[in-house]
Amino acid sequence: MSDASAHALEHHEPVTSTGIPNKKVLMWAFLGSDCMFFGTLISTHLIYRKISATVGGNFLDIRDVFDIELTSFSTFILLASSLFMALAVSAIHKGNLKSTRWMLLGTIIFGAIFLACQVYEFTHFIHAPGNELTLSTYRGEPHVFGSTFYVLTGTHGTHVAIGVFWLLGWLAYSFTGKMGTIHALDVEICGLYWHFVDIVWIIIFPVVYLMEYAL
Amino acid sequence: MATESIKYLAPDTENKAKTQVFPRPGQHTTGLVDWLTTIDHKKIGLMYGLTALFFLIVGGIEALLIRSQLWDHNMSVLTNREYNQMFTMHGTTMVFLVIMPLSAAFFNFIMPLQIGARDVAFPRMNALSLWCFIGGGLILNLSWFFTGGSPAIGWFGYAPLTDTRFAEVMGDMGPDFWIFSLQILGVASLLASFNFITTIINMRAPGMTMMRLPVFTWMTLVVSFLIILAFPAITIALVELMFDRTYGTNFYDFLEGGKPHLWQHLFWIFGHPEVYILILPAMGIVSEVIPVFSRKPLFGYGLIVFSGAIIGFMGFAVWSHHMFTTGMGVVATSAFAMLTMLIAIPTGVKIFNWIGTMWGGRIRFDTPMLFALGFITMFMIGGFTGIMHSSVPIDAQHQDSYFVVAHFHYVLIGGALFGLFCGFYFWLPKMTGRLMNEKLGKFVFTLMFIGFNLTFFPMHYLGMIGQPRRTHTYNEGHGFEMWNQIATIGAFILGVGIAIGVLQFINSFFNKKLKPAGKNPWDARTLEWTLSSPVKEYNFARTPIIKARDQAWENNYGPKENHSEKEPLDDHGVHMPDRSWWPLITAIGLFGLAMGMLFHRTIDPSGELVRDYTIPIIAGFVAILGMIMWALEGPGGYHLFPKEDEE
Amino acid sequence: MTSIFRKFIPISHILIGVFLILAGSCSRIDHKQSALDPKGLVSQNQYDVFMLSVWITIFLFCAVGGCLLYVLWRYRAKTAEEAKEVPPQSHGNSMVETGLIIASSIILVILAVPTLQGVVLLNRVPDANDAESLEKMGLDRSQIDGAITVNVTGKRFFWVFEYPQFGIVTANELVFPATKAVRINLRTEDVIHSFWVPKLAGKMDLMPGQENFMWFIADQKKILGESDAATAMPAVHDGTMRAKVFAKQKFTDEFEPVGGLFYGQCAEYCGNSHAYMSFRALAQTDEDFDKWVKRFQNAQNPNLATKPYEPQSSYSKGSLVTFADPKLGASTNREYRSIRQIAPGQSPQLNPGAWEKAHSDDYEKGKQLFASLQCVQCHAVNRTGLGAKGPNLTLYGLRTSLAAGWMRNDEESLSKWLKNSNDIKYGNLMWNGEGVDDRHPLRNLENDDEKVNQLVEYLLGQS
Repeated sequence: MSDASAHALEHHEPVTSTGIPNKKVLMWAFLGSDCMFFGTLISTHLIYRKISATVGGNFLDIRDVFDIELTSFSTFILLASSLFMALAVSAIHKGNLKSTRWMLLGTIIFGAIFLACQVYEFTHFIHAPGNELTLSTYRGEPHVFGSTFYVLTGTHGTHVAIGVFWLLGWLAYSFTGKMGTIHALDVEICGLYWHFVDIVWIIIFPVVYLMEYAL
Repeated sequence: MATESIKYLAPDTENKAKTQVFPRPGQHTTGLVDWLTTIDHKKIGLMYGLTALFFLIVGGIEALLIRSQLWDHNMSVLTNREYNQMFTMHGTTMVFLVIMPLSAAFFNFIMPLQIGARDVAFPRMNALSLWCFIGGGLILNLSWFFTGGSPAIGWFGYAPLTDTRFAEVMGDMGPDFWIFSLQILGVASLLASFNFITTIINMRAPGMTMMRLPVFTWMTLVVSFLIILAFPAITIALVELMFDRTYGTNFYDFLEGGKPHLWQHLFWIFGHPEVYILILPAMGIVSEVIPVFSRKPLFGYGLIVFSGAIIGFMGFAVWSHHMFTTGMGVVATSAFAMLTMLIAIPTGVKIFNWIGTMWGGRIRFDTPMLFALGFITMFMIGGFTGIMHSSVPIDAQHQDSYFVVAHFHYVLIGGALFGLFCGFYFWLPKMTGRLMNEKLGKFVFTLMFIGFNLTFFPMHYLGMIGQPRRTHTYNEGHGFEMWNQIATIGAFILGVGIAIGVLQFINSFFNKKLKPAGKNPWDARTLEWTLSSPVKEYNFARTPIIKARDQAWENNYGPKENHSEKEPLDDHGVHMPDRSWWPLITAIGLFGLAMGMLFHRTIDPSGELVRDYTIPIIAGFVAILGMIMWALEGPGGYHLFPKEDEE
Repeated sequence: MTSIFRKFIPISHILIGVFLILAGSCSRIDHKQSALDPKGLVSQNQYDVFMLSVWITIFLFCAVGGCLLYVLWRYRAKTAEEAKEVPPQSHGNSMVETGLIIASSIILVILAVPTLQGVVLLNRVPDANDAESLEKMGLDRSQIDGAITVNVTGKRFFWVFEYPQFGIVTANELVFPATKAVRINLRTEDVIHSFWVPKLAGKMDLMPGQENFMWFIADQKKILGESDAATAMPAVHDGTMRAKVFAKQKFTDEFEPVGGLFYGQCAEYCGNSHAYMSFRALAQTDEDFDKWVKRFQNAQNPNLATKPYEPQSSYSKGSLVTFADPKLGASTNREYRSIRQIAPGQSPQLNPGAWEKAHSDDYEKGKQLFASLQCVQCHAVNRTGLGAKGPNLTLYGLRTSLAAGWMRNDEESLSKWLKNSNDIKYGNLMWNGEGVDDRHPLRNLENDDEKVNQLVEYLLGQS
């Protein structure tokens, strides 16, 4: 067994031309691509935000819909989850399985809180009395703000959800007894993804939410 | 026989036990299961190639129907809707199901051999790309059988024609099929590109520095970067369109606040890099072939690589030249016109350098060289008309006329397809181990060259005398008839040429009478030609240590210090990753997800819209299950022990 | 040898024949929709830049292609041995490469300058106060000052032309003064279309939710050629244009004998019948244009509509009134024209001798049918009809073409069109639009020659 796993280990992480593991290059390439995904969505939102300020003669005052306190809280939660993620990566590098488990759990819980906030936010917005913001309408009039807003933040939420499931996978795997430092790289890559999703939110939050209060 | 020298190492039984649902196929799997579960980049490349050739025939038949309809004024071979479906399907098929996957076939098969790798970085992901591509192609062509038939929105799908509001058939599903198939194809392209990028950056043999990479590999890298940066734009545009059509959002609905202009921007931010995604691989192939048949190294290697990268980079800055007539205003129009003219310079550099390569060489006119020369001349014409279109006043007359049709066919057939056929004639001996009939090859080239020019050269003139494109018929009295007839005759000649070519390729896999190719039939220059033909499962028995660019040539003709060396044989053999079912199952899951989403809406007897997500959820679950099992089974593997002298 | 030679003679004859045919058809490039035969300032500019680019690229193609041919010939491997030789392995020459890059940049600059000028010309009507540039373009100030504006609305699959200065609306045939600049505002109510009259100007798209602008000015000298205005630009307002076009021209003629008639086409794919979405533009002398506008204004002016007969009024000779005519049907009115001065109380019923029928019975019946068959839901004729869904049919009898420029506007085509428009223009909205199904009277005209004739009489009578 030990011999076989030694071989497995050797083939698992072959020597690469750059010295960076393949999986990491893959994740960086993916993140580069993902930047373009969010770039497209965010610019769609911004373009429409500018040209669709009024609807049916009413000025679109999205502040009546937004709940900035809640969103600030969930932003803070998501940022905090990044800390847990970093700690989890550091723990697995050291081979501290127990600590890894707790930190993973922390990340998952905070990620889940963020998602819960988003679900609450969405349902709240759709049913905001007098200010209903749905996918296609605002105050019952056709409007494009709901379209860009929900699809943009929804896509981000989907990214968070995928991250949460990925982390849950690692948490489950940690109980099989096979997890060890050989998986440090995989957890690190998962962490890369998680931090990226966080950073995207750091862009979305001011651009989509805060800017409504500044201007 | 290589197999005699191979000891079979029992797979890690403990690992296998976890994935008993589908027992992992072992080393000696053959037949259908082998092809379904293979993760060998060469087999995947072949499947890419053969599927794409099949779609080439399908798209070609669509093209011939289009040409038959245009034979004379007011013909009724097709109704107007059928015609519109035909050009939509022809465009989408040729771009996404033919040229891109044919390029991907060469990326898969040749690129790892050129850099001295045993496989791509993620072999199972590579298989997933293949199955996603096939799934996407299937979805697109399934559209013929459902409400409304195939999409009739053009391959560009300009909003708001794609809006349900403007559907010309009640409950038209064509655009939905188009959206989902492009999404799945996008997944395939993105995964493949991540894979190639990682492979080229990380898996080069020792000594294979970036500036020693064959140009084809360089172009693979550039194209992969183009794909990962350009596809997100179309993916998001399609997501938005999907939401518009399915959930009533207003992204492109101008009556409710949307802007159809946005679609055009997003589409062309993807669409223009896409043009380079289609042409750069062909340029890479030609840059390999011309030095071989001139027996000289590529003239200005650095400049060719650099101009390829510049073309890729600038490709993101010129998209709006597809929109000169949409009223963008003087400033934007002028800026994009100037940038578009600039991009002609790196393209010109390539042509100069190819001629420079031939200068002073010993030029042989074998079939690959003929196709390469055809590429240069035809691409030159396409490029020149491209420069014309960069000039706004000219474009104002040419836009959406047959002149544009002529232009991009010169680039995409005279350019990309000639380049890819050049690649087939050049590399098929490496893939099959057999030489093809030169005379037949030259005959195919002659037919294609004549047919192609006969079809598309008159279209320049047709455009200038006012025939608009995408019209299913034309009125008598415009003087269009004769030129259209010439074009139609040419199209059939071209069709016959391509069909013979495709048959010749397929024949070379099975015909045992053909002459064996040997290691290096063309006296070619790059690393793949140091291997036996066909290439062994493990590619390189011993990893080569690269000493120079054009390693195969240097080994034969270069000074001693430039000869490549080989790493010693490993005691525990060449590690080969195991075959796997999970890429296929994941792809089936994604396919089911797309189909489920297509059919999740029904109208109940009372006229209410009912949404039923059972199938998408089940299919999504299959996809996720596939990924989990994939992660759990690990790369696995067995070891091969090639003999000292085997390549 | 000779036999082989003889065998080839027919082939060479065929080749020469084909060449002659091709050369012959290339010798005329003034096809109806040809951008190679510019008849306006903007299209002339576009043509000039195009020809410049053609010469540049022909030069480049010959230079590069010539180089290529020379290299292929000079360095071909003549023998099998030569093909195995190893030539000097040179890797490049940076001087040559840099030189070529600089040379190609210079060539691009040659094209870039007229391009930028063209962009401005395309998008902006020259400033009337800028005498210098007007002179350069050979324009007179009055040509800009007297510019007319046309709001073009694209619909699937026809065109609406509105003249806001004159308050009139027409469809599918754009009448414009040959000497004046024409400003075109482009809008659409459904999908994207593109407005293209190759001989006058390049195209511009009609974008939903946005108004685009283009302009053109015809070159009267080019339109006239060697003939006079009456021949080259027959008047539209009195039907001369229609008569001339019909007299001189078969619909299938490849070249247009009437210089003032231009062909246009939707150039952006817009759905099933995109191919059928063409239109015409008719150039007029200033005088004829003014007359046409007047006629149109009168026809569309609700105050000038024929009023019912009033017993207490007296009427001068030639007055028009509407009055009941039981022959046409119960409580149905028809138009009467007075033959002489009419005293009060002399209604057409009491004094038939003093009045004549303004139109034939068929015309009047057609008019009734136009309402009763629900045509008015979509089409407006003069002041009648609600609809803006279909083309406005005011002065329809003056039009040269039918079905958005697809057919010649005569009795035969019109009755074919009315009987089954879907046959001619599959997917057209008259047959397939909202609210039109098999019960719609329009779809049941196929075997009703009488009604069709009456409608034709009525519609072509709109002149």
